[in-house]
Amino acid sequence: MPQHLFPRPFGRRAALAVVGVVTAGALAVTGCESAVNSSEQPSGDKKGGSLTIVQSADIDPATFLAQNNPNFSVIRNVFNTLTAYDHDTLQPQPELATSWEQSSDGRSITLQLRDDVTFHSGRPFTAADVIFTIKALQREDVISQLKHVALAITGMEAHGSHSVTLRLNHPVSNLFDLFEMTPIVDRQTFDDLLAGRQIIGTGPFEVVQYTPGSGVKMTSNDDYWVKGRPYLDAVNISVQSQSQSMLSSLQSGQSQLALDLAPLDTVALEGDPNFQVVESEASDAAYYVGSNVTIPPLDDPVARQGIAWAIDRDRILDQALGGIGETSSLPWAPSTSPAFDAEKAQTYSQDLGKARQLIQQAGATGAKVNVAFNSGFPTNQAIAEIVQFNLKEAGLKATLVPLQEADFLAKLGTGDLPGLFVNVHGFGQLSPATLVKGAFPFNADANASNFDSDQYRRIADQLWTTTGEAQAETTYDQVNDFLLEQQFISDLVVSTHTFTISTSLKGVDYNMYDYLNLDNAYLSE
Amino acid sequence: MLRYALRRCPSALLVLVVASVVVFTVPRLAEGDAADVLAGPDATATTREAVRHDLGLDRSPVVQYVLWARGLLTGDLGTSYILKRPAAEAIGTALGQTITLTVAALLLAMALGGAAGIALGVVRRRSATRVVGGLVSVAFALPPYVSGVLLVLLFAVSIKLLPAVGYVPLHEDPDIAVQYLIMPALCLSLPFAAVLARFLAASVRQVMDEDFVRTGVAKGLSSRRLVFAHVVPNALPPVLTILGIQVGQLLGGAIVVEAIFGWHGIGDLLVNSVLTRDYVLVQDLLLFTVVVFVVVQTLTDLAHAAVDPRVRLEA
Repeated sequence: MPQHLFPRPFGRRAALAVVGVVTAGALAVTGCESAVNSSEQPSGDKKGGSLTIVQSADIDPATFLAQNNPNFSVIRNVFNTLTAYDHDTLQPQPELATSWEQSSDGRSITLQLRDDVTFHSGRPFTAADVIFTIKALQREDVISQLKHVALAITGMEAHGSHSVTLRLNHPVSNLFDLFEMTPIVDRQTFDDLLAGRQIIGTGPFEVVQYTPGSGVKMTSNDDYWVKGRPYLDAVNISVQSQSQSMLSSLQSGQSQLALDLAPLDTVALEGDPNFQVVESEASDAAYYVGSNVTIPPLDDPVARQGIAWAIDRDRILDQALGGIGETSSLPWAPSTSPAFDAEKAQTYSQDLGKARQLIQQAGATGAKVNVAFNSGFPTNQAIAEIVQFNLKEAGLKATLVPLQEADFLAKLGTGDLPGLFVNVHGFGQLSPATLVKGAFPFNADANASNFDSDQYRRIADQLWTTTGEAQAETTYDQVNDFLLEQQFISDLVVSTHTFTISTSLKGVDYNMYDYLNLDNAYLSE
Repeated sequence: MLRYALRRCPSALLVLVVASVVVFTVPRLAEGDAADVLAGPDATATTREAVRHDLGLDRSPVVQYVLWARGLLTGDLGTSYILKRPAAEAIGTALGQTITLTVAALLLAMALGGAAGIALGVVRRRSATRVVGGLVSVAFALPPYVSGVLLVLLFAVSIKLLPAVGYVPLHEDPDIAVQYLIMPALCLSLPFAAVLARFLAASVRQVMDEDFVRTGVAKGLSSRRLVFAHVVPNALPPVLTILGIQVGQLLGGAIVVEAIFGWHGIGDLLVNSVLTRDYVLVQDLLLFTVVVFVVVQTLTDLAHAAVDPRVRLEA
């Protein structure tokens, strides 16, 4: 063997050299400024420090005037809204509006505005900015689920720089939902905002860099109108499309806050003293099965009721949603919606006997049913699989139809989904009118189910225009009974958005549309 | 030679024109468009149409194609519908990340695979070869999506030495950037290094059977000189062939590694663009791939023609 000719090609010295190189490399890494700790600089007092947030999708400045989940981390931190609901009383509290007075007929409201607010550009905030924002909402190309409220505002007058009167063509029950959800934008840079070129607001942080698809860097606004706030010097938002990467980032200490970690990853942090999972009281992530009512057997409400009885909501809550939320047959948030009815919310639970009987009564036993879902969301897929299994148990031939996001949204928008569809909706937390007028699955005028009913339209309009409490109670009963009977949308679990927070981060808050509020947030030792 | 080169140009151009039509048409065959994604699930039909109009998606496909092609000819790759930034900028940023990762992984694989291959080929102590051979087998068996998770658990979550996710450009802050680079590059390089090590070890063993090695030993050359000055250079050519083939796979693996470590490279950009029907980016990225292929192919043909006159004459 020629190798035997070699005395000792690599001896101890060579081995030591290799060990030396590896050690030097390790020392070089540990000796450098650490990339892990560079984002967090806890200090003795609350002031200072840099916070890193991870989230799964990129922000979209073009939809800042709509409720769009990825924007939750930015909107309230760069902008302000006119009012903000108190979490306990659900009464609107002052923000940019200091006080307001509504006319007795509910057709006008006069808002007094703060006079000590400036935009990040240095320009003072005035009533003209409020008028501009509402006019922007009325534009066809601007997306907002509360556009119907903006369109009901038919006149706007400024009284001086810091007072404005809004006139409505009829009273509406969800005007303060509009004020809560809509950030007041800078009229001079609005087009740049829509294009993502410049993001100027009045909030506690200024955007210094936005890299589409990657993240946002913000620094504190030294001229913020809440004196002494914010505590944090900087906030960085990092987009990590994989939930597992978000979890690793948190666990490694690289980030301190994760928005909407996948429910099953959230379970992985249970019992970990370094993290706290905050479940938003807004409960505006309700998972449902919708029906395209133009496709047999889904055109028969009896068959739809049978499907509602077939689905195992408890299993969905436990296995797909990690126990976050509660099972419900109604779309409303249990703790905040005035229309929520605890008894009626438990109308449907799995009863396969009843399900089979109703499906048989509708002549649908053995019928083929498609179950479409957005394949980009693992949670929706998990729910769709459970639904498919349950439908087979109930005597239907269910087939899963995974669709890419664009395809799913296109078919949802045109009512072309091929049967049942699994999805999630919001807007069940505040005024019920916002759901039946603004959330597309429930929209009485046009919806994803192609459900067309004069009675439903009447109830929806009544919900929207009724402002008296006693009258509203009756309408809530009507809408609940109607939705439970018709089942064009079968609600399954009312879940919620989550904030997974490192224990080093304190003072995190959010509004009732789940906009993250870091006014009082600080990093501790 | 110049005439041969000029003769190759029309076919290359034809390929590009046909490819531009294909990459423009195919993404549009899938249902849904960027307006549906931008408008979101609660948009009314009117809003959806208004967004579609703003993006120019309500124009005829022919007009859209002509506008895109005209832009390309003037160096304008268009603006991403979803990212709202110039496509050239988005592609440039993503390409920078992918190239950084791939080059770092390549260098690391060459260093690790080279050292392991030489050790396996030269060292005769059985315990040492078993250890190195075992490590090579482990590296070969570990796909990046497994080694990536293990590395994160060990170095980011347990001992908190390196960042779990993210990217910092090398030119911005080299100290920090290297820390972000170590795990993804290592994860991507391991299977590649293992392949390299095995081929190099086999090649080294073969070369060591050669007479000139025996002569070197007889002349009293030091082992180190013999190995590095004579054996390794003669063992490299077949390994270089493998290296070339593996680089393509390295780029493919980079897509997985980018996802694990939260890098926003070309793979991430292409997948997201397809899912969100960001036609401009999809078209640009696919056409870019075709251009690279056509250029490489043309250069290869020209190189063949340069070294072999028969090719020129046949053409």
